[in-house]
Amino acid sequence: MTVLVIDDEPQIRRVVRNAVRDLDLRVVEASTGTEGVDLAAAERPSVIVLDLGLPDRGGLQVCRDLRAFTAVPIIVLSARHGEPDKVALLDAGADDYVTKPFSPVELQARVRAQLRRASKDAKVAKHIAVGNLIIDLVRRTVSRSAIPVHLTPTEWDLLRVLATHPDQTLTHHQLFHAIWKGTHGDMQQYLRVYVGQLRRKIEDDPIKPRHIKTEPSVGYRFETGP
Amino acid sequence: VRRSHAAWRQAAVALCALAAATLVMLAFRARLDKAHVAMIYLLVVLGGSAAGGRFVGLVLGSTAFLAFDFLFLRPYYTLAIADPLDWLVLFTFLVTSIVAAELLDRLRRHAELAEQRAVELDRLSTLGAETLNAARAEQALVAIATVIRSAVSVERCALFVSEGASLRSVAGTDVGGSDHTLIDADSLLEYVVRSGQAAIEREDGTLHLLSVNRPQEPAIGLHHVKAFALPLSIRGETVGALRLSAAVGFSLTAEHRRVLLALAYYAALGIERLRLERTEETAEALRRADVLKDALLASVSHDLRTPLTTIKGIAHEIRHGGEASRAGVIEEEADRLSALVDGLLQLSQLDAGALPVAIELNTVDDVIGAALQRATAVLGAHRVDVVLGDEDMLVGRFDFGHTLRILVNLLENAAKYSPPTAPITVTARRRDRRIDISVADRGVGIDHAEREKIFHPFYRIPGAVADVRGAGLGLAIARRLAEAQGGRLSVAPDAASGSRFTLDVEAAELPSD
Repeated sequence: MTVLVIDDEPQIRRVVRNAVRDLDLRVVEASTGTEGVDLAAAERPSVIVLDLGLPDRGGLQVCRDLRAFTAVPIIVLSARHGEPDKVALLDAGADDYVTKPFSPVELQARVRAQLRRASKDAKVAKHIAVGNLIIDLVRRTVSRSAIPVHLTPTEWDLLRVLATHPDQTLTHHQLFHAIWKGTHGDMQQYLRVYVGQLRRKIEDDPIKPRHIKTEPSVGYRFETGP
Repeated sequence: VRRSHAAWRQAAVALCALAAATLVMLAFRARLDKAHVAMIYLLVVLGGSAAGGRFVGLVLGSTAFLAFDFLFLRPYYTLAIADPLDWLVLFTFLVTSIVAAELLDRLRRHAELAEQRAVELDRLSTLGAETLNAARAEQALVAIATVIRSAVSVERCALFVSEGASLRSVAGTDVGGSDHTLIDADSLLEYVVRSGQAAIEREDGTLHLLSVNRPQEPAIGLHHVKAFALPLSIRGETVGALRLSAAVGFSLTAEHRRVLLALAYYAALGIERLRLERTEETAEALRRADVLKDALLASVSHDLRTPLTTIKGIAHEIRHGGEASRAGVIEEEADRLSALVDGLLQLSQLDAGALPVAIELNTVDDVIGAALQRATAVLGAHRVDVVLGDEDMLVGRFDFGHTLRILVNLLENAAKYSPPTAPITVTARRRDRRIDISVADRGVGIDHAEREKIFHPFYRIPGAVADVRGAGLGLAIARRLAEAQGGRLSVAPDAASGSRFTLDVEAAELPSD
């Protein structure tokens, strides 16, 4: 498997290279956005680590250019940690982001999670089992510790969208779009309330959720890890 | 229509009184002199005029005139008169009743006008009080716009404040509909402010300019008005403008314009107050920035140099064959510097009012959960008890990110300043239209004298254990973040010893689904 690192700073490329060394990956490096897009087409990497601050074009643009031809997981490195920037990135098709300064361990974990997700995506799941939670996507049922959980249609849609994108942060915008299919009604503002209600039904402790994690000011993430 | 209806009814009542008087007098006709009859009729006519006004007086006067002639002057039951001197009596009677009716009516009108003026005065004084009392100038301006709208009975009244060369809308009342004026509203307002003249746009698209100092002229009412624009000035300086408009043409009588001018003065006062508030706010922001700058300069030597010195020292050691494991200290110090730089950036953004605030519907569960998750590492062995007010989910309107930062900061402080295993309690409770979220610790508590000071940048409680990781900015940032979303952050001693920090956010209702 190959990881493509697109970053103009050699120091950061070195940090990334060291971080993924243990994962037994081949590392391909690009120092500009143009070169990165070309390499992504030529090398067909399993994951891309993309720096936002590139000399030739913005990371956001590179992200869109990549998404035009590939669904490969993209992890963005960002120096700014303004939430609006993260949201814009995820909406542009990035799968995850890591804020500078980051620890190598954190980056390694994110790369591993993306690789795991990519391999899972390949087979279409009929049911999802995480911890004590079992979601049957065909029969549209959910059970927690073998006890059936009754969900409203909106809560079901929310859970289905989150659970079918495991370990991936979905922005508020992406969730609105997936659940309300682009109809811009009053219901959108209640997304967070629906998440709260869903958590009260499927989490053991809704204050310390295990399954649906909050990415503050960005969105939500369905976690499958321990 | 309703008015003439009432007049006719009053006239009918008065005519009944007249008929009654006539019947009584007819019974005693033989013993009555012409003078008696004239006096009694005059009494009835005066009474009618006083109660019913000029119209009733005139109807009554002429009826009494005919009855007098027909029934009480010989020959009876004809309009002819035998004695020529009787003509004099009859004529005097008629003139007296007409003049009396006129005089009484004039008196009545004066009284009505005085009453109307009193109502107006009352309205103006209320408005004056509102202008002075409203918590914010914007609220006062909205009140003024509402009064103006009802005083002139027009659909829309908007107030604008001059800001440099442009005008900004500050208050407006709207009762639906849109006005389709032919002349662009903005350019008309700009013209009015520049020229100092009031302008009236008629339904036919014609434009009339009025002198602001003599708004009563022309004395006639102006009808079919689409829009009216008036410059607002105070002490000779134009501070803004007022605009009245309606979908259907309205009338502006001379009286309306007089009232409008008086009300416009209050609007000008309100706008002046708004401008003063703005200046004051800018001055306050500058003052805060100044305090921050001073604190920053004072702390730069210590808070920035200490970690830098450590980093430099250890890096030097390692380069000259020291233990590589000491690099961990460099990492820690770098983190501390990084936190300090973040804090300073945020504080300066907050002071400049440049930090965006996104007030959205959020659940308290979610933000407390996220805060606990983010603070996990710092909380260490502390047990955190979360107490939520009621069974229903607490829903509020607040900025999630800002509230999260505040709570994380409070949790970190609670962990830092209380014994290693002491429990920390997070409580959320609905209080009327607010939600109080508080974090209570079992630390030593904070002296009364320090309770406000701890919210100042870089302030450290004298004698407190030196904080190795903090930058001394946490509470200063937290309080400003709370204020930026319209809430407060305060501290009070907690019953179970220690401190209780409380943040309040706006409560919202749960959607019914």
